Formats: sequence, structure tokens, C-alpha cells
Amino acid sequence: MDLLTQIAGSVFSLGSVAAMLGASLLGVLIGALPGLNPVMAIALLLPLTYSMEPLIALGMVAGIYNGSMYGGAIPAILMRIPGTPAAIATTFDGFPMTQRGEAARALKIACWSSAIGGTASALALMTMGPLLARATLHFGPAEYFWIAMFGMASIGVLVGDDALKGLMAAVLGLLLGTVGLDNLSGIPRYTFGEPWLLGGLDLVVILVGLYALPPVIALAEQADLKGLSAAALKLGRARLGWAEIRGLIPTWLRSSFIGIGVGILPGAGGNIAAFLSYSAAKSASPDPDSFGKGNPQGVAAAECGNNADNAASMIPALALGIPGNVVAALVLGALLIHGLQPGPQLFHQNPALVGGFMAQMLITSLLILLVGGAAATRVFAQVQRLPGVLMVPMILVLMAVGVYVINGRVVDLWVMFAAGLAGYVLEKLAFPLAPVVLGLILGPMAEQSVRRALLISRGDATELLTRPISAVIAVATLALILWPILRAWQRRRHGAKAP
Amino acid sequence: MTARGQDMILGLLFAGLGLAAAWQATGYRGASGTYPQVLGLSLAGLGLLLALKSLWRGARVPRPLVDHPGRVAVTVAIGAGYLALVPVLGFYAASALVAVVLPVALGFRRPLYTLLAAAGFMAVVWLVFTGLLAKPLPTGFWSGW
Repeated sequence: MDLLTQIAGSVFSLGSVAAMLGASLLGVLIGALPGLNPVMAIALLLPLTYSMEPLIALGMVAGIYNGSMYGGAIPAILMRIPGTPAAIATTFDGFPMTQRGEAARALKIACWSSAIGGTASALALMTMGPLLARATLHFGPAEYFWIAMFGMASIGVLVGDDALKGLMAAVLGLLLGTVGLDNLSGIPRYTFGEPWLLGGLDLVVILVGLYALPPVIALAEQADLKGLSAAALKLGRARLGWAEIRGLIPTWLRSSFIGIGVGILPGAGGNIAAFLSYSAAKSASPDPDSFGKGNPQGVAAAECGNNADNAASMIPALALGIPGNVVAALVLGALLIHGLQPGPQLFHQNPALVGGFMAQMLITSLLILLVGGAAATRVFAQVQRLPGVLMVPMILVLMAVGVYVINGRVVDLWVMFAAGLAGYVLEKLAFPLAPVVLGLILGPMAEQSVRRALLISRGDATELLTRPISAVIAVATLALILWPILRAWQRRRHGAKAP
Repeated sequence: MTARGQDMILGLLFAGLGLAAAWQATGYRGASGTYPQVLGLSLAGLGLLLALKSLWRGARVPRPLVDHPGRVAVTVAIGAGYLALVPVLGFYAASALVAVVLPVALGFRRPLYTLLAAAGFMAVVWLVFTGLLAKPLPTGFWSGW
């Protein structure tokens, strides 16, 4: 009871409420601007959170995440341009509704669906997160090592089209994580005599570069000189009646389950949740042919599914230290900034903080109903009148100021720029960036765990495999790595058999 | 260049990077060196595997690295120039300059709109970072004034 009172006190403090509300508004705004996405926004936000209370920082992350997932639906419905990758499925029926003069109704359905999906996801996080953390409480260094390996293998193999590139990205991230003073021996590694490298590569500097610069260059490539006309942004009025809400409830329930399931799986993102939810709604519909032609169920399924992925992706991130997607990886980054190590111990050492963050995910999901209402959506839609080329230098300036204030070093600006350019080229080469980030986050934990396990066992490496739980996770990791190889081999065998 | 050629080069680059990292790690004592050596050799192995896989079964389809080389070059050059100018001109002067110059370089020809947007944006940045958060930012040659 004391804990609940403590959580309520900190979550409903003035600072936390202002952070959630302000960030939700900002999130919808960012989601509404094609080219900007929640990952970029949270990466830009992280440097500012150094001097903040952890719960205020996390409240801002929660607000931006949930808000931008809904915001992505605004241009998807009005212009057939998904504001975020997760809003692609929203365009299928959202834009045809706009063409029919039902833009306001489509936006209202998207708003309600986002709020319901996000709320269901937050409730799943609040119930399943602590259970998973309790189950993993007795893990030792060997188990932690294999959990880190499993997380990286799953992100490496499941993200992107080529598992080999994913694994390379994970190993690159682990290697980058070794730069700086070795925590256990104090030996400097890969510092090349540069004092600023002794502390290692700053996670946030790399994150801002990797996730903010490539979209900026993409915006510059598009060179949008006009923005949208005021006439195109005129919305009518719409009210959702009880009959319509009742008709959407089965879709909301189905999509929430799908989104939560996808969110828990490491490597799958909101776009996959939206597509699966959309397909399921279409399959279950008595009139599947109406999908893609402005069926409100399609908008509801896609938006509910992509928001139901949000908080669920935090379940493995908070309980095991394995993020379900890139935003969850950024949340881990936010925790590390405040000296908090994600994983089972987090729930026991900082229950008020974890509980507070889970409550913030719930509250910011409900806040969508407030900030995503018809009047607010009309205002947010206006940001699409801003020509894209004006956004390019603005984001560049925000990146620079955000990175500079972390350590007060100009060299960090160049590290960020180099990371961004590398990220841009690697993305074009279909090289996934999420495993690099995860390697950078989990690398130090993996190294310390394996070395501690070997110290405890006096150098006996079999200790890593003989404990039952670590053996199970090790086998699962190996199976995950071998799975794409077996699949490719099977595909080739079937191909050879075919006439 | 085709995707096959790009992936072969990427694989060889990573193999070289992994080998260099492993070789560098031989200079670190005990377990401090073993871990990065293992990682370096793994990266080299995976890189070679990617190069070989691309050689045998790589897609011979073109995969452009940039869609509009001119715009990318302009953005990267002005971005790098901006970072170089931050310690010289100070954060606010350099930022105001890039906020005006970059849209023009990308073909935006509405000077008043550009100036107003840059001024409004810089005012918000100043309010947040200097007014509200009181973060010290590079002042450049203005510090001598």
C-alpha cells in the first residue's frame, strides 16, 4: 500500500504531470510530421533528461512514444503519407475515408483506437512485467550473460532482411561497447591516447547520430518546398455513436492482443503489429472486400494494433534488459543515464520508479483522448503546412545542442555526425542499426557477467552451460542463430525438388 | 553499383575492421584483451561470410546509396561546416546561419518566410536551453566582447 501511495505521489506530482502532458502534445506533433518519428524524437530528448528526475524523464519518453504513435495517423489519413512506419496500414482505409469526406470520423476512430490499444498494452506491462522479473530474480552472472546474448541474437536475427548482417551489427555494437576503461581491470581499450575516449563512447551521442541524422538527410533529399495547403487541412465534424463503438469493440480486443503479443517479441515493431491486426480484422470481417476502400474497421485495427505494441515492448526491456524494439532500447538508455541498470533487479531495487513508469505509460495512453481530440488534431494538422526544407536545419541544430550539453565537448558533435553518416550509409545497405545500439547497451553487462561467472567458477567455462537455466537460454540462443540457416537450407531443398 | 558488389565491399570492410580490432586487443592484458579479441575475430568471420555469400548468391540489382546526390552533398557539407563554425562563431550565431543558409541551398526561395522561421526557432531554442535549462553553450569569439 505504501508503495502504491509513493507511486501515485510521484506520478501525479506537478513535474510528472506537466512532463506527460507536454510530451504527449509534442509526440502527436512529431508523429504528424512525416519524416520525423518517435525514435528520433526520443533520441533528441535523451540529452535533455540528464539533469531531470528519472520519473520526469521517463514520463516525457512515455508521452512522446504514445503521442507520436497516434500522431502518425494524422498525415496517414489526410494525405496517405504515414507519419511513422507504424502508420502505413492506417493509410489503407484512412485515406479513402478522407476522399469520401470522412476525415474527421477517421481521425476520431484512430484516436480512440490508439488510446484503447495503448491502455491495454500498459495494463499488460503492469501485470506481466513484475511476474517476469520475479521469475528471473535468482539469475546469476551466467544467466545474465546468456540473456544478453539471447537479446542480441533475437534482435540481430529478427530485425532486417538478412540475419548475417543483423549478427554483424550486434557484434559491432558489442565491440563499440568495449571502448574506454575496462571496468574490471582499469586498462584503457581502443582509446588511442585520447582522454575523451576513456569514459567510452557516449551512448546518447551515438543514438542521436544514428537515429536523427539519417531522417534529416532523407528530408533534405525530398526537398519539400511547399508543405500542405490550408484547404487540404479543413476537417469537418464527427461524432462516434454507441452503435459504431459497439461494432469496433471486437476489432479493438483482437488488435490489442495481437499488438501485445508482437510487442513482447524482441525485434518486431509497431508496423508488424499494425499489419497483423489489419489482416486479422479483414479475415474476420463479413465484408473483406470493403477493406482498402475506406472501412473504419481497418483504421481501428491498424491504430489499435500499433499502439498496443508500445508498452508491451517494455516488458522484456524492463524485466530482462532486452528491448522489444528500438524505442524500448532508448528507454533502457534513459535508465542507464540515471544510473539504473535494467533487468530483474530493477523491479526490486527501484519498485517505485518502475511502477511509476508503467503508470505513466497507462496515463499517456489515456491522454491521447485529450490531446488527440478533434480540436487538437486540427491544430496538429497545421504543422504539415511547414515546408520540409525548413525542418532540416532545425533538427540539425537540435541535435547539436542536445549532444553538446551532455558533456560540454565539441568533439561529441563530430562523433554524432560520424555516427549519423555511418548510420545513413549502413541503412541504405540494408544493415540494421537496432542491433548496434543493443550491443552498445548490453555489451558492458554481457562482458562483466561472463567474466564474473568465470571468476566464480575459477576459469571453468563449462559453468556457463551447466546451470539448468543458463543451458536453456544458451540452447535457445543457438537455435535462434541457426534458425535462418536451417530455413534457407530448407527453402533451397524445396526449390531443388520443384520441377 | 549492384547490391552484390556493395555487400562484398561491406563484408570485406567489416572483416578488416574485426581483424584490426582483434590485433589491437592482443596488447591488452588477460581477460581485458580476450573479450575484444573474440569479438574482433567474430566480426571478421561474419564479414568474410557476408562477402562470400554475396559473391555466390548476391543480387545483381542496382541499389543506389543516395537518391539525390546533390542534395545529400549540400546537406552534409553545410552540416559539417556548421559543426566547424560552432566553436568559432558560437552556438547561436552558427545555428542562426545554418537555419537560413541550408533551406536556401536546398532550393527554398522565400527569404522572409525563411528568416521568420529561423528567428522564431532560435528564440525557442534560446528560451529552452539558456532561459529555462541554463545550459552553457559555446560562445565563440563573442566571449571576448
